[in-house]
Amino acid sequence: MPKSPDTATRAGRLLALIPLLRKGETVSLHELAGAVGCKPSEVAADLSTLTMCGVPPFTPYDMIDLLIDGDTVTIYAEAPGIDRPLRLTLGEARALGAALDAAGYDADAPLREKLRDAASSGVALDELARTVRASSGPGGLAETYSVLAAAAETHEKVHIHYFTGSTGNVSERTVHPWALVNRLGTWYLVALCEAVHEERVFRLDRIFDARPLGEMFEPPSLVPFNVTPDTEDLPVATVRFAAGVALPDQRTWPGATFTAEPGGTTLVTVAYQTESWIARRVLAYLGDAEIIEPPALRKAVRKAALDELGAIM
Amino acid sequence: MSDAVERVVNLALYLASSRLPKSAEECRAAGLGYPADQDDTAFIRMFERDKDALRAGGLVLDVVDDGESDAYRIDADATFARPVNLSIEERAALRAVATAFAEDPGFPFGDELRSATGKLGTSGAEGPLASSDLGRAAPAGQGVDARAIAEAVQARKTVTFEYTNASGETRDRTIDPYGVFFRNGSWYLVGRDHDLGEIRTFAITRMNGIDVNPARPRTPDFERPADFDIRESERLPFQYGSAPFAARVRFLPETAWRIDRLARGHGKTQHLPDGSAVWTVEAADARRLASWIVDEGPGLYAVDPEPVIEELAIGLRRVADAHA
Repeated sequence: MPKSPDTATRAGRLLALIPLLRKGETVSLHELAGAVGCKPSEVAADLSTLTMCGVPPFTPYDMIDLLIDGDTVTIYAEAPGIDRPLRLTLGEARALGAALDAAGYDADAPLREKLRDAASSGVALDELARTVRASSGPGGLAETYSVLAAAAETHEKVHIHYFTGSTGNVSERTVHPWALVNRLGTWYLVALCEAVHEERVFRLDRIFDARPLGEMFEPPSLVPFNVTPDTEDLPVATVRFAAGVALPDQRTWPGATFTAEPGGTTLVTVAYQTESWIARRVLAYLGDAEIIEPPALRKAVRKAALDELGAIM
Repeated sequence: MSDAVERVVNLALYLASSRLPKSAEECRAAGLGYPADQDDTAFIRMFERDKDALRAGGLVLDVVDDGESDAYRIDADATFARPVNLSIEERAALRAVATAFAEDPGFPFGDELRSATGKLGTSGAEGPLASSDLGRAAPAGQGVDARAIAEAVQARKTVTFEYTNASGETRDRTIDPYGVFFRNGSWYLVGRDHDLGEIRTFAITRMNGIDVNPARPRTPDFERPADFDIRESERLPFQYGSAPFAARVRFLPETAWRIDRLARGHGKTQHLPDGSAVWTVEAADARRLASWIVDEGPGLYAVDPEPVIEELAIGLRRVADAHA
């Protein structure tokens, strides 16, 4: 059973709710719930509590007056004294800061500056920045993230440049942004790519110069949030890692399985979409990882290593 | 519970709608919900708790000395938000992060994120489709534990827990928590280990039985060093080592834009006329830098120092030989 919020938490939610109740307006409970971050049933309970609140001398004219009818509420008399949203508390500022960290917004992103004005004067934002950090992946994503979020919201097509890590090629594509998905700290865009007219998954840190095109698209009724490829039909590589090497994880090698061997080596099997992707991953181990099979992949890795050697010699 | 909540809201409305500061006794007598038969000591305790609840909810109380006792009023400027002028894209981005993280058990601050975006008018409802799964191991527990430790960081309360390190050794730790950070699916605590007298980093997924010192919750147990900054923990993989050196990495024209994404605020970039760019960054491990350059490639190359290029050459030769 979930823990009931304490008095301070619930009072805080009611105080956040009060400025949203405008005399003469009818609002859906769902909308209010979204605005204060709780369930419609909790908002209904909060609104009932508010009908018991007011100011001295607590005549009917001094009380908050509203009527809940089904999933809407109509406000007849609003609360005195509190008619604007409250500033962000320390906990709220911390949550927003962490969320923007995790979305790849750098410390100097303009949005962060704007949000400083929204925080309570008692919130030490600089201290928060020095003590909580939720960034995991690459930074510098603010512009790309905001353009894609707006396009996913309004169903607007976007033109992107995309860097393909396995080949180093940059391609230009028109995409229908369906959803933004974070897995283990890495952001992906799930979209329809017009060039192939199929669903594709793009890493956000490899998208640059994303521009909305002003053309709308029809979103699918069901958007898949799976960002790892279906491995069923993909070839599988077997890779041996030397003893003591930091092994790849599910973030970098999705779906990999690990088998410890006598002597401390580890045998890893992983499905791969392209030879160039798995070859580069093995190259990065600089000799501490070896493709065992398939043989064709061994040849591809050797060729890639010699090509890289040629480039630096 | 309901009476207490009503009383706190009544107190907020009373102070917010009064032009003059109100003393505790005036609040007590105003019929806000304080029990009539309550003795003075119990009333003062209750009134203090109610003021704390108002402050926790975001109200800033001015305390005015009216000559006989303290009186209270709401500092409207400090309490009420000014309109924040957000662009359409910024609103959509906030709605996306609210949708993604508010329901992710690996994100420790979901409830506050919902209320924050609600206050900004950018809650997830009607926003873009978004989803998140931050945590690698036991995400629910990790988010809950990270939150408890983040609270201890803010309150500067000492924490104790049983910790199993990467070698499988388990022992009890007593830590002054200085900060928390997230990396690659896991949350970490940085703090001073009482037994070692040193600042150490601990993976929250390796902790068991986290206990925050419950004694005197409003009194900090320790002082955080003035120069502590959790962002220092955000080093790149090749920046761990005892002998730092400057390294330069060249990005070809078609990949020069990636420096902003990969640098995470480290180093300096010089853009060259041909469109390429040279990134100068502090490193401390030549082999790890060589590995990072290959992993993030193609399109970037080590310029110097020589040990990094040597590591690349030796490592790539090993790969070629192993796959002969």
